[in-house]
Amino acid sequence: MTEPAITVRAFFERARAGQLVAIRCGSCGELAIPPKELCPKCHARAWREEPLAGNGTIASYTVIRVAPRAHAAGVPYAVAVVALKEGVSLLGRIVDIPLESLAVGMPVRFRPFVAPDQQPSIGFGPA
Amino acid sequence: MRRVAVIGVGVTKFGLHDRTSAELFAEAAADALTDAGIPAGAVQALYYGNVVGGETEHQLHTGPQAASVLGIPSVPTTRFETACASSHAAFRHAVMEIAAGVSDVVMVGGAERVLNVSTAESTEYFAYTSDAVWEQPLGLTFPGVFAMIARAHMQKHGTTEAQMAAVAVKNHRHGALNPKAQFQKQITIEQVLKSAYVADPLKLLDCCPFSDGGAALVLASEEVARRHRKPVWVLGSAAASDWMLLGDKRDLSRVPATERAAAAAYRQAGLGPDDVDVVELHDCFTIAEIVATEGLGLFEPGAGGRAAEEGRTSLGGEIPVNPSGGLKAKGHPIGATGAAQIAEIVTQLRGEAGPRQVDGARRGLTHTLGGSAATVLVSLFGRD
Ligand SMILES: [Zn+2]
Repeated sequence: MTEPAITVRAFFERARAGQLVAIRCGSCGELAIPPKELCPKCHARAWREEPLAGNGTIASYTVIRVAPRAHAAGVPYAVAVVALKEGVSLLGRIVDIPLESLAVGMPVRFRPFVAPDQQPSIGFGPA
Repeated sequence: MRRVAVIGVGVTKFGLHDRTSAELFAEAAADALTDAGIPAGAVQALYYGNVVGGETEHQLHTGPQAASVLGIPSVPTTRFETACASSHAAFRHAVMEIAAGVSDVVMVGGAERVLNVSTAESTEYFAYTSDAVWEQPLGLTFPGVFAMIARAHMQKHGTTEAQMAAVAVKNHRHGALNPKAQFQKQITIEQVLKSAYVADPLKLLDCCPFSDGGAALVLASEEVARRHRKPVWVLGSAAASDWMLLGDKRDLSRVPATERAAAAAYRQAGLGPDDVDVVELHDCFTIAEIVATEGLGLFEPGAGGRAAEEGRTSLGGEIPVNPSGGLKAKGHPIGATGAAQIAEIVTQLRGEAGPRQVDGARRGLTHTLGGSAATVLVSLFGRD
C-alpha cells in the first residue's frame, strides 16, 4: 500500500483555500494534475506534492449560452483551458473578466470558484 | 483470425419517437434480419450500445431488455457505453467474437431515446460524459468542449466560422436525399452564421440535434456470409482512447485518438486514406468533421476547413464525407450512431444508396467519437 500523494478531495480543499497543487514524479520529474496513481510518462509510483503559483494564459475558451440545468441561471458564462506557467493545464470558470475581452493567450490567475449547489472548483480571474 | 462480413443492416427513421429505445432497436434489428435473409434463431449474441437509458428512461440492463423486446431472449448480450461511440465499440467486439471463431452470426445494435426529456435535462445528461469532479461543476457542456476545440483550431490554422458553416450546409444537402434523416431540408451559409450562439464560436446550426432512433447490423463469418447476397467485408476495426480531462490534452486543435485509431485500422486493412471512396464520420459539431478529416489523413492538418469550403467532401467531390447527412442532418441518437454509420457505408458499397450514392464506391470508412474525444473508433469496409 502506498498512500496517494494527494486525493481529489484534498486537492479541492486546498484549492478552496486558495492554493493549487500538482504532483511531480520522483523518478522522471513529470509534473501532473492529480489524481494519477502511476506517472503517465514512466509509470513509476513515486509522486510528491508541489505547489503551483496559479499564473497562466488562456489556451482556449468558450462562452456557454445553453447550460445544463444546474447552471442555467448563470448564462452566459465562460470556461477556459488555462496553460499554467509550470507546464500543466486546467479547465476553469472565468471570473471577473468581461466576456467580450477574452482572447487566446490572455494572462489569467487562479482563484477558487463555487457555483451555487456545486462542489468547489477552479476559477480564473484577471492576472 | 477469420474474415467477417456485414450481411444485413437496419435503421429506423431518426427524430422524435413515442417508443422506447428497446422498441426502436427491435424495429431496426428485425429489418436487419430481413435484409440479411437470415432467421432470428441464427443469431448467437447481441452486442448493444445505449448511453443515457439510465437517465432518460430509468432503464439499466438494456442488453437483455433489447434482446427480449426483439424476441431473442436467450442469446448472450452485452451493453457497451463509450458515450457517442457505443455501438461502434459494440461492433468492434462483435467482429472479434466472429474472427476468433466463437460465433458465426452476431447482431450489433444501438438505440437511444432523449426527446422525451427537456433540452436542459438532455444537455445535463450528455455533460455526464465529461469529468464529474473536474469539469461538470464548472458548467461545461458538450458543445462547450467542441467550441474550445474550434477556438484552438481557428487560432492555430485560421479556420473560419464560414468554413464550419460549409460543413453544415453540405450535410443538410446530403440529408435532404436520405428519407431516414431527421432533417431533410437544405440550409444556407447565412442561416448558419445568423443562428444563435450555443457555445461561442459554435452556433445552433453548427450542432447536431438531439434524436431518438435505433440501428442494427447482422455480422457473419465468411462461411455464412458467402451464402448471402452482397456481403460487405470488415477490412479493419480499431479503437483508441485519450486523456479524459480537457486540461490534460496537449493540443486542442487535434484529436490524437482519431489519429491512433485510424493508423491501426489502415494497418489492419493494408490501406491508406487515398484508398477510401466514401466516409461516414462523427460530425457532432461542424468543427468535429473538419478535425476528423485531418485526423483520418484525408487532408493535411489545418486544411480541413478549406477543403469543406471548396466542396471536396461533397457528393461528387474527391472524397464524399457523410453522404447520409451525417449526425448533423441525419440525426444523432447517440447509442445508435456507430451502427447507423456502418449501415450507410454498407448501403453505399452495395450500390443501393439511391440519389445519395457515391458512384462506384468500393471501400468505405466509418469514424465515431465518444465524449470529449476520449474514445474514437475507426473501421474500414470493402466489397468483393
Ligand atoms: Zn515519471
